[in-house]
Amino acid sequence: MGSTLARHYELMVILDADLEERTVSPSLDQYLGVVRQGGGVVEKVDVWGRRRLSYEIQKNHEGIYAVIDLHAEPAVVAELDRQLLLNESVLRTKVIRLPEPKKPRQPRRVAA
Amino acid sequence: MAKAAVRKPKKKVCVFCKDKVDYIDFKDTSLLRKYISDRGKIRARRVSGNCSQHQRDVATAVKNSREMALLPYTATAR
Repeated sequence: MGSTLARHYELMVILDADLEERTVSPSLDQYLGVVRQGGGVVEKVDVWGRRRLSYEIQKNHEGIYAVIDLHAEPAVVAELDRQLLLNESVLRTKVIRLPEPKKPRQPRRVAA
Repeated sequence: MAKAAVRKPKKKVCVFCKDKVDYIDFKDTSLLRKYISDRGKIRARRVSGNCSQHQRDVATAVKNSREMALLPYTATAR
């Protein structure tokens, strides 16, 4: 918890549809060990299941989508993304940094 | 004989400003589909009626969504 730069990320993964859907979340969890070791917190893993792709990706018409919500440092997430892309059954990944929920209101104009 | 030349332009208010949306999710395809044509192109601001900031957010969300194959880059014309 002592990490100073922990940020809120959302990671979306498209996996090969040839995988068993049941094996998806355990194998994703294996990768998420990187996050836990790096002092991050995995908030939620949401497996959408099989979904038709809007266009072909590596000759696949379908993919298994998963969305992972996590808090971690940038370097940890970059490492996770790198490791995922090494896996051939991962068709695509996307890391989005979510806006921080609380925003201290800044005074827009300070009278000089 | 003369056509009614002056069409009163309907003043559109940006729906996102109205609802005070501050983040447009690229996963929400049913929302984003309203802002693309049936060819898959992003609707212009004068069509969608969004303000410049939200139009940009929509465009970014659509582009992210396309990268993840949730929305098409091109759709075949009907």
